[in-house]
Amino acid sequence: RKCRPIEPVTKLPSGLVIASLENYSPASRIGVLVRAGSRYETFDSLGVTHLLRLASGLTTKGASAFRICHGIEAVGGCLSVSTTRETMVYTVDCLRDHIDTVMEYLINVTTAPEFRPWEVSELTPRLKVDIAIAQQSPQIGVIENLHAAAYKNTLSNSLYCPDYMVGKITPDKMHTFVQNNFTSGRMALVGLGVDHAVLKQVGEQFLNIRSGTGTIGSKALFRGGELRSQTGGSLVHAAVVAESAAASSAEATAFGVLQHVLGAGPHIKRGTNSTSRLSQAISKATAQPFDASAFNATYSDTGLFGVYTISQADSARDVVMVAVSQVGAIAQGNLTVADLNRAKTQLKAEYLMSVENSEGLFDAIGTQALSEGTYHSPEAITQRIDAVSSNDVVNAAKKFMSGKKSMACSGNLVNTPFMDEI
Amino acid sequence: MASKTPAATGRLLFTFKKWYYNACGFNKLGLVRDDTVYENTDVKEAIRRLPEPVYNDRMFRIRRALDLSMKHQILPKDQWTKYEEDVHYLQPYLKEVIRERKEKEEWQRK
Repeated sequence: RKCRPIEPVTKLPSGLVIASLENYSPASRIGVLVRAGSRYETFDSLGVTHLLRLASGLTTKGASAFRICHGIEAVGGCLSVSTTRETMVYTVDCLRDHIDTVMEYLINVTTAPEFRPWEVSELTPRLKVDIAIAQQSPQIGVIENLHAAAYKNTLSNSLYCPDYMVGKITPDKMHTFVQNNFTSGRMALVGLGVDHAVLKQVGEQFLNIRSGTGTIGSKALFRGGELRSQTGGSLVHAAVVAESAAASSAEATAFGVLQHVLGAGPHIKRGTNSTSRLSQAISKATAQPFDASAFNATYSDTGLFGVYTISQADSARDVVMVAVSQVGAIAQGNLTVADLNRAKTQLKAEYLMSVENSEGLFDAIGTQALSEGTYHSPEAITQRIDAVSSNDVVNAAKKFMSGKKSMACSGNLVNTPFMDEI
Repeated sequence: MASKTPAATGRLLFTFKKWYYNACGFNKLGLVRDDTVYENTDVKEAIRRLPEPVYNDRMFRIRRALDLSMKHQILPKDQWTKYEEDVHYLQPYLKEVIRERKEKEEWQRK
């Protein structure tokens, strides 16, 4: 059974990477991925990526805000922006026949925004709503705190605008950020259901306004700090991590397998989570409800690996200690072949299922094209996963146990251990 | 009058415009042409979009003129706004507002 053929990823002289896949679907999906995530924000412009996320519908040199909105809606398309700590992704989906129309708007938005002062100041209420919604979620709070505590620079920048910057991000700051980071050497143009030649032509003609690599981002410096946020309530969300491996390194896959050995979320609704070593160990330590999974985040030059636990306030100490000690158990070689194979299968299944639909496939092609300049077929990825040995996983666990830890927790911290007690 | 050269016609037109500007009289109150434009919705929107320093200058000139008119006075001759120095600061914003409104109307009509 053959995989769909994908066009080879092309790299233009300007540095722009182009990838496409013909999926014979009536709906196309085109996107521009830019290496301009929150890690590239400078100290005086923290939060500018959050505002840029909201500013995708603003007037550009080629089209007014009104025209962008009505033009895209008139063809039944949809323009959306999402940011990770490393990438900004502008995506537009539409029916195959209307690609030209939406492509025009996409190019305008990514290369020639005007950031008119009165339009930018109208974004402030939306900014406040976004921040308020994010503050409702304890998980988001813990993850943002975790990154702020773990890194000295770059990755410590939050995805959300800090409170003191709301209303203070000027169009000048936005222009500077775009000038420095939205350069063709840091962009990838990806299309599903689009002709590769069409994308190439668009890339050559329009997406070379700012060539080169822009300002070089700094290397992420891990410092392993701790941030505790006492918010009361009955639960405790805690994350304990250590620096793991960069996405391009050989160990990255091993950390992925280790994550599934420990347990990466329930696979059966309302089940007992019997394959998760974390859950099994913690359920012996406490009868109170809890949730624990391994946390694995990989970035281009670093990564975080550890455990994320949600527990009742009283049992937080037990839950966190047992979770960390489970990783220690694996570090001591306590890893059966059955566990290893089960974890590999789960990781493979997770990846393959994620590329089943067009959003997941688009993400996979886009991130690979942007970071490595090439796309690995699912077969190549599954082979890479299969090649992980028991030793690799044990070494990954050892790296966690011996590495400097970083911790973030929030909730009712009456019985939550400090980082030096773990 | 038939065979005037273009340069001469230009000169004449300029002289006439300058005379008309001075005859209007608002320059004696220290105002600029765009301070006196009637505020319909388009103009109101354009004023809303002015950068802060420009808006503050406009407000100052209008207040000074109101004060002078209350006292039935005018500025000394050396402070009158000169025709050559009159800057039409509102025009770019006004043009943009009108263009946007026309675009919306075009769209509704379709």
